[in-house]
Amino acid sequence: MNTPLVALATVAALVVAALGGLSTVLRRRTGLAHLVAAGVLEAVLLVQSAVVVVALAGGERPPETATFLAYLVSVVLVPVAGVLWSRTEPTRWAGTVLAVAALVVAVMVWRLLQLWEATGG
Amino acid sequence: MADRLGAPAAGGDDAGSTSRGPGRVLVALYGVFALAAGARAAVQLATQFDEAPVAYLLSAFSAVVYLVATVGLARGGRSGRRTAVVACGVELVGVLVVGTLSLVDPAAFPDATVWSGFGQGYGFIPLALPVLGLLWLRHLGELERDRPASP
Repeated sequence: MNTPLVALATVAALVVAALGGLSTVLRRRTGLAHLVAAGVLEAVLLVQSAVVVVALAGGERPPETATFLAYLVSVVLVPVAGVLWSRTEPTRWAGTVLAVAALVVAVMVWRLLQLWEATGG
Repeated sequence: MADRLGAPAAGGDDAGSTSRGPGRVLVALYGVFALAAGARAAVQLATQFDEAPVAYLLSAFSAVVYLVATVGLARGGRSGRRTAVVACGVELVGVLVVGTLSLVDPAAFPDATVWSGFGQGYGFIPLALPVLGLLWLRHLGELERDRPASP
């Protein structure tokens, strides 16, 4: 779990959120651009999970392990849920639904980092 | 480029339902809060109930209110909307009362809840959500009055 990866995830999430907001403003549904951006975000999150699982296997434990694991699992699911739900939304608000999911991810990764870094202290 | 950003949207500004259009955005937000508050309350109640029972029970209560509001908004229809109005109302009262108390008497709330400081820890979204929810539900009510044929 490290800051550059979290920053990267945040940037990816903000791109997804911006694209989502844009298609709402343009009165469009979500399209390929959203799928690609959300895919990149999901990839970054999966890499992060892999890094964390390796660290956990190496014996590192955040103090609030249960909360940490709950965040770790949910943060990976949120973009998937956001994409699936926005794909079935026929109005221009599809993009906003995706943007909400992306912003939730942006907040969650930082909370995750906070929980992880409580380790040393 | 235009199509990569998605095909033109169907319908107008909204589809006049709680589970479509802007309503779906609200359902998404409420769902997130139901999950967040619920998970938080579950962990707190399970691991440290003795430290701040009032705060943790409040967290659990707020989680239930968010869940009821989410279900009400997602189901829609007359009864779903009525359920959602009650839940949003309870939520608004909750965030105002708990927000005020947590500032006036911080000792009563040794650990934060979703509603402490008017939802400060959550970007004040807990304060905005019930207001948006009630406005949206009122808008739907007006739509239905203009168009009594829809079920």
